[in-house]
Amino acid sequence: MKKTLIMALAIIGLMAAFTTAAPAKKMIQIKGSDTLVNLVQVLAEEYMSKNPGTAIAILGGGSGTGITGLINQTCDIADHSREWKKKEIDQAWEKGVSPRFFIIAVDGLSIVVHEKNPIAKLTMAQVGAMYRGEVKNWKMLGAYDKPVSLYGRQSNSGTYTFMQEFVLGNKNFSADVKEMNGNAQIIESVLQDEGAVGYVGVGYLYDKDGKIRKGLKVLNISKPPDGEAFAPTDKAAIDSGKYPISRPLFQATNGKPNADITAFIAWETGPEGQAIVEREGFFAISSAHKAQNDKNLK
Amino acid sequence: MGKRQKLIPALVFGTLVLTLANVLAQTTTPPPQTFSATVYLDYRFYLSSAGPITLKPTDPTGAYLSNQFIFRRAYFTYENKINDNLKFRFRLDADNTANVTGVALTGTPVTGTSLSKDDKLRPFVKNLYFEWSNFLIENQTFKVGMEETLTFTLSEARWGYRSVAKTLLDGYKDITGVDINASSADIGASLQGSATKYIRYGVQVVNGAGYAHLENDQYKKFSGQLHFIPVSGFSVVGYIDYSRQLPKTSYPLETAPAAMTYKLDSYFEMVKNLVLGGEWFVYKNDLNQTASFVKYNVSGWSVFGRYGLIQDKLNAFARYDSYIPNGQNRLKDMSLTILGLDWAPLHSSLKFQPNIWFYQYKHGTQYKATATSNSDVAFNMTFFLSF
Repeated sequence: MKKTLIMALAIIGLMAAFTTAAPAKKMIQIKGSDTLVNLVQVLAEEYMSKNPGTAIAILGGGSGTGITGLINQTCDIADHSREWKKKEIDQAWEKGVSPRFFIIAVDGLSIVVHEKNPIAKLTMAQVGAMYRGEVKNWKMLGAYDKPVSLYGRQSNSGTYTFMQEFVLGNKNFSADVKEMNGNAQIIESVLQDEGAVGYVGVGYLYDKDGKIRKGLKVLNISKPPDGEAFAPTDKAAIDSGKYPISRPLFQATNGKPNADITAFIAWETGPEGQAIVEREGFFAISSAHKAQNDKNLK
Repeated sequence: MGKRQKLIPALVFGTLVLTLANVLAQTTTPPPQTFSATVYLDYRFYLSSAGPITLKPTDPTGAYLSNQFIFRRAYFTYENKINDNLKFRFRLDADNTANVTGVALTGTPVTGTSLSKDDKLRPFVKNLYFEWSNFLIENQTFKVGMEETLTFTLSEARWGYRSVAKTLLDGYKDITGVDINASSADIGASLQGSATKYIRYGVQVVNGAGYAHLENDQYKKFSGQLHFIPVSGFSVVGYIDYSRQLPKTSYPLETAPAAMTYKLDSYFEMVKNLVLGGEWFVYKNDLNQTASFVKYNVSGWSVFGRYGLIQDKLNAFARYDSYIPNGQNRLKDMSLTILGLDWAPLHSSLKFQPNIWFYQYKHGTQYKATATSNSDVAFNMTFFLSF
């Protein structure tokens, strides 16, 4: 029996040796927010080209997926476009995960319609009412006579949660919202539908030439019903907080990141990374954000 | 029943209905529906031939299952999320033990009994429940239906290799042949939540007959659990359950027999990629008595660990279980050691999990009279598929 035991252990040992002998290049695994996925992909590609030997893999799936991945230690960095929920903080505590947060960009969550739609601005309350299903026709908002087609995200999306919390007043979305897999799908749907309204990250508004995509209209939004409305593309309005639905975009690590991850995040949040953030249509972080990031990296 | 006694359940029911109506009245997103399947397939090979399990028959015509392919489990799960707080789950499970019971055929012109039985991989309902998150307060979940019991949900998540082996309590009957009335699912209702980040709780009432049987007596099984996390990554879980048993004429002194399980778990997850866990339990049943009417306890403990060698690709795991199926007959003591690897070379939906099981018996003959060795060794190549 000893022989068979040794044989069996040898089989397992050989398999282990075989698998561990595979290329052991340490890869940084990033998962999460669909709003961030394209931006982080571009950042990672640029960073890898400047730092040969570095390997970074990026997956989307939504903020919830990234946060769960970090809690279950199936990724090194979670991308998320919303704050962590209490339940997630508790789960992290239970699993011995101590999240550290880094703000890598700022987003003006953009409300978009078909270019033929005569409406130019909305209040936060009107956007909320539309997505709660209380406004069924554009005529009710002073636009043309067309049924409102609502496009949004799935519930694992940070953007979904952000909208629900800050725009819908924590009420549920209408049952009529067509749940799309990502920002790009929302844009494509809005381009095809004259009654459409969608919400997307500001980085998804632009074509490859850096212009607002043809066929798309980006609405100005005001917070008070009779207040001035601002565009999500207006950096000054974002910085001053006058554009009412702007938000920080985050990355999280489990505790103090290792040297490779620290170098990557420091680069993302530094001048080179932030230039790419702006080139991709998002907004650079403030000096206060940068100072906090640097503190969290130590 | 007095008026006041009738009023309390009516009030509770009324409150529940009103709250539910309020939740359902809110406009909701279309129900996201998900389908998923998980399959565990083994190639099993005996590495010993004289122990109670692996004993080679002396009769050359006798079947000897020294190596076999076997589907141990196939799950099919459907989930329907009605809104952010409400969801349904329907899960079919399938295993080879779901034989067709002999059915008596009577009446004209059919008479007699069909005894056709087979070992087809046959599905049965494992979960069928309704879950209400943020029930009454934030982070509290109410479930009703055929749901997972509280008994080993936490330890199974920490062990992480249900595809290789059930956890101590879950697999106790399979390993020792002793029934400890612990089922992974049952019909009833439960309330689970977190008071603070340091404390989680759970209470449950179920039929107590498991998922394989209808309610068969007037008694219910009550269970409760407290989960303390004093520091991040370190958990201590206390669990208790209680169920009255039907008296048996063969135990005339037990007029109100009961069964209880006490369980204490601890998990350590403070080091990256490392999970360590420990489980200890005692099962007392007033009907567990020796021939001379001396009551005995059933107990056991288990320690396990898993370590991620390559993220998402390769993990190693190990476990040691100690079984004391009869506190009055320690000759039946035994242990089980499991060692293995979890390898996902291509994708996490396909895993190869080679593992070895070492059984060590105090007296192998207590489990099979003709066994000539006190140990069994089996190698499994487990294929884990999920899609």
